[in-house]
Amino acid sequence: MNQFQMASPTEARDLYSPVMAVISKVEKMTELENLYTVVLPDGAELGHKPGQFIELSIFGVGEAPFSISSSPTHRGEFELGIRRVGMLTEVLNRMEVGQKVGIRGPFGNGIDIEQFKGRDVLIVAGGIGLVPMRSIINYVIDNPDDFGKLHIVYGSRTDEDLLFTEELARWEADPKIDYHVTVDRGSLDWKGKTGVITTLIPGLELDLEKTVCCVCGPPIMYRFALLALKSKGLPERNIFMSLERRMKCGVGKCGHCQINSTYVCQDGPVYHYPDIKSLQEAL
Amino acid sequence: MVQFFLESERVTELVTHLKGQKPVFAPHRKGRKSFAFERVEDAADVVLDYPRVMHSIRKFFLPPRETLMTFDLAENDFSTADVQPSDAIFFGVHSYDLGAVHRLDYNLGKGHPEKNYITRRQGAVFVGVSFEPDAYHFCGSVGIDPMDTSGFDIFLTKLLDGYIVEALTEVGEQLLNGLDLPAHEAGKPARGNFQQHIYLPQAKLNEVMAKSYDNPVWAETAEKCVGCGTCNLVCPTCYCFNVEDTVNIQATGGTRDRHWDGCMLREFTGVAGGEVFREHLADRQRHRVFRKFKYISDETGQPWCVGCGRCTAYCTAGISIVNIVNRLVGDYEKVAVTPI
Repeated sequence: MNQFQMASPTEARDLYSPVMAVISKVEKMTELENLYTVVLPDGAELGHKPGQFIELSIFGVGEAPFSISSSPTHRGEFELGIRRVGMLTEVLNRMEVGQKVGIRGPFGNGIDIEQFKGRDVLIVAGGIGLVPMRSIINYVIDNPDDFGKLHIVYGSRTDEDLLFTEELARWEADPKIDYHVTVDRGSLDWKGKTGVITTLIPGLELDLEKTVCCVCGPPIMYRFALLALKSKGLPERNIFMSLERRMKCGVGKCGHCQINSTYVCQDGPVYHYPDIKSLQEAL
Repeated sequence: MVQFFLESERVTELVTHLKGQKPVFAPHRKGRKSFAFERVEDAADVVLDYPRVMHSIRKFFLPPRETLMTFDLAENDFSTADVQPSDAIFFGVHSYDLGAVHRLDYNLGKGHPEKNYITRRQGAVFVGVSFEPDAYHFCGSVGIDPMDTSGFDIFLTKLLDGYIVEALTEVGEQLLNGLDLPAHEAGKPARGNFQQHIYLPQAKLNEVMAKSYDNPVWAETAEKCVGCGTCNLVCPTCYCFNVEDTVNIQATGGTRDRHWDGCMLREFTGVAGGEVFREHLADRQRHRVFRKFKYISDETGQPWCVGCGRCTAYCTAGISIVNIVNRLVGDYEKVAVTPI
């Protein structure tokens, strides 16, 4: 007898075939990053939650995971903020509006919206970490009655690397948003703050019990951001983090995204900090 | 359960009888010490007395390389590969390799049941054979006996001059229909002794592993390990894979293929931009061993190692998984009995 029951053939699914979606708009954000707008066949909704990701593929080149940058409140299309850093993204950069790419997903858990409702939301985003965080930020902005105050803390290498600059200006001008930005190295034109992202955290005016925080950034950033948040007095149970790993399948099979016992594509990419603080490989 | 006796000289007759009903895959000799499961063309080529095949029958359900889809670059379109049920007899399978298939059933069926694997598993008939443990087998330590018939449709237990034949399922009974075999009355022989043992059962290993994250054995093993990934390649319960596109030479289209991947390889956790999340071989060794004795075991209560001994027998650097686990057990017990 098989002690581990196998799923029946009728339950089995083709997990790897993409749907072909159209690139409807490409906006150059920086030297390396573009914002792609993608439309599914018949204008179908992607049906994602803030913080989820998709697998994007180009035939002959390959497939890779990308965070969804738009909020589900943005209907009829979705956006992907993508850095040109490998072969797939290099080819994507040369594609034109109207061309099609393969899309699978959405995958992962995304944020637990129920846990965020009624709370103040603090977003800590480093560099390209703003891409997935933007899906949460815009979700909060579009559902003002469901959330308290919105704090955004954003750090970038230089002012030329800042993403979504038009939106940043809107967030800065919005009296309801507590927006802070810093760059590691500013150009001569830069009038804002200079320094690493953690320098912004001590000065925040937070209702510590009411605030939930989501952190996303380069691997090096998490430890320092955590230290800063903890010394600020934010309870660990109020901290969430979105993690990046290599992923080939998105459905918990290929093994690449495993962190100790957890699969980022299944249990993540957004983790509740108390759940992963004992996982040595997480940060 | 009725038991029959099959003389050694009549194994060929049994294989021929089965081959007349479904395709049969069985161990074939490939070299002085190496054996492989292949489709039987000539029943006389089948070898039942073998220590282990390099690649388990996993390769028939989760092939080393398989095409997921074929794409056309001009049309920017694709068609999904047609996957067929195996619908075949796997003859001469050792109990640990069937145990491994059952574990893959769990992994590939869980959460999102995977069509390719589950389709290939359909119609698979398993004919087991007992074996004499060699210098590498330790399946007795993970709860798998060389004469364990569970999960098999037919099982052959080795005697000096032949085999006890048992039909264990209706499918097995029907396959044996028409074969005239005398009844076997004398009972089963004692099984051979294992030369390799893990000192504790999985229930205790869960505790040991929980305390072993920082054990020096990982770094010490890493000093010998070359990170070749052979242990992953030959492990019958490994199922991690990579997916790659290949374009044909006319550059008109190609295939999206998946192939086995291994967590011992450096690129396994590499992402665009250069970050590698398990950079050190020590981290990768720990991950490999924890995959077999901790992570899935904490979930299922079962070891995810089936004790076949392949990762040790084929290791290019002489690393033994039994020695690693026993070292963890030893260090755990040392700590446990240290007086305060």
